Amino acid sequence: MIEKTNFHPAEHEAEKASNSYLMSLMAVVVGLPLPIINLLATLIFYLGNRRGTYFVRWHCTQALLSQASLLAMNSVGFWWTFSIIFKDEVVTNRYIAYLITVFIFNLADLVATIYTAIQIRKGKHIAWWFYGDLTSILVKQ
Amino acid sequence: MKLFLQGCILIASFFAVWIGLRQMDWVSILHIKEISQSTEEKLGDLYWDIYHKIEEEETSKSIIGPVDSLLNHIAEANGIDVKTIKLHVIKKDQVNAFALPDHHLVLFTDLILDCENEAELCGVMAHELAHMEKGHIMKKLVKEIGLSMLIAMTSGKGSPETIQYAVRILSSTAYDRTLESEADMTAVDYLVKANIDPEPFADFLFRMSAREGDLPMQISWISTHPDSEERAKAIIEHLKDINFEKKTVLDSTQWISLKENLKNE
Repeated sequence: MIEKTNFHPAEHEAEKASNSYLMSLMAVVVGLPLPIINLLATLIFYLGNRRGTYFVRWHCTQALLSQASLLAMNSVGFWWTFSIIFKDEVVTNRYIAYLITVFIFNLADLVATIYTAIQIRKGKHIAWWFYGDLTSILVKQ
Repeated sequence: MKLFLQGCILIASFFAVWIGLRQMDWVSILHIKEISQSTEEKLGDLYWDIYHKIEEEETSKSIIGPVDSLLNHIAEANGIDVKTIKLHVIKKDQVNAFALPDHHLVLFTDLILDCENEAELCGVMAHELAHMEKGHIMKKLVKEIGLSMLIAMTSGKGSPETIQYAVRILSSTAYDRTLESEADMTAVDYLVKANIDPEPFADFLFRMSAREGDLPMQISWISTHPDSEERAKAIIEHLKDINFEKKTVLDSTQWISLKENLKNE
C-alpha cells in the first residue's frame, strides 16, 4: 500500500509535508468527533501551503485526498448513528458491520498516516497506493 | 486506467469487508437487545420508585379492574404481551396520561372521568401503548436528557433531582410532532384490530382542544399533546377507508359504575 521513492527534500520541506498528515491526527486528538473536522483541518493546511514547494504541495494533497474518502464513509456512519438515537432506525447487524468496517479503514488510515508523517519528517518520500498516483496527476511540478 | 482500477478495488474492498462482516449476528453476539431492555427496565423501576412516592396510587379493584380489562383487550388484539404492561391509576385532578420506560402506563383519575365512553379512554391508552411499542419514550429521554446521563442513572450515579427531571420530561412535555402523529395512527390501527371505534378518540381530542386556553393546569394531556384539532382531523381522515365491526368491551353498567366509583373516591 505504501511506496518509498528516492527524493531528498530540504529540512523545512520535510517538516511542512509531515505536518500535513499530523493536522488530521491532531483534530482527532483534541477531541473533535465530527468527521468533517479532520477534512477541514487538512484542507486549511493544504490551502495555507498551496504555493509551497512541489514536495510540500504533493504531500498536502495526498493527505487531503485520503481524508476526503474517509469523510464519505464516516459521514454515513455518523448520520446512521444519529438516526438510530433520534429517529426511527434500529441497531441491526448491517449497522454494526458498517461501524466495524469504518473502524478498520480508519485504523488503517491512522497507522499509515503516523508512519508516513514519521518517514517524511526523516526526508523520505512516501506515496500511498491509489492516493499517490492520484496525487501525481493532480499536482504538477 | 490503472488509477480507475485501483479506485474500484478500494471501493470494492470496503464493500467486501462490510458484506463479509454482515454475515455475523452482531446483535446477538453483543447482546444489544438485552442491554437496551435491561437499561429500560432499570430506568422504569428508578422513575416509578420516585414517582409513586410523590403521588397517591389508586388500588381499588372496582376501578383498576375495568381499566385493566380495556387495556388487556387492546393489547391482546394487537399481539402485545399484556404481562409486560404495568398499569397505574393516580388519584389526581388533572387530565393526564403518560408512559414511563419499561411499559409503565400512568393514567390520572380525572382523565378517566373526562372520558364520555370507554372508546375515548381506549383511544388514550392505545396512544400511550403506541409510544411504548414504537420506542418513543427512550428516544425522547435520549434527546432531552442525553445518553450518557441515562447510562449514569442506570448505574446509580444519577441524582434524585435529575431523575425527577426525567419523570417531569415524560409526564409534562410533548413528544415531537412526527412521533405524536405516528402514535395517533398506530393507536387507530390498534383500536381497529380490537374492534373499538377510534372516532370517539378524535372526539376526545376535539373536546380537549376546545378547552386548551381555559385550564392549562387541569388538562395537562392536551398541553403535552399539542395541535389536537389537526390530529383529530387526521384520525377521521385515516378512518375513511377502514371498515370494521365495532364492539364494546365493558357492558354499559360496568362503565357507569367505574365512573361512579371514581367520583365517590
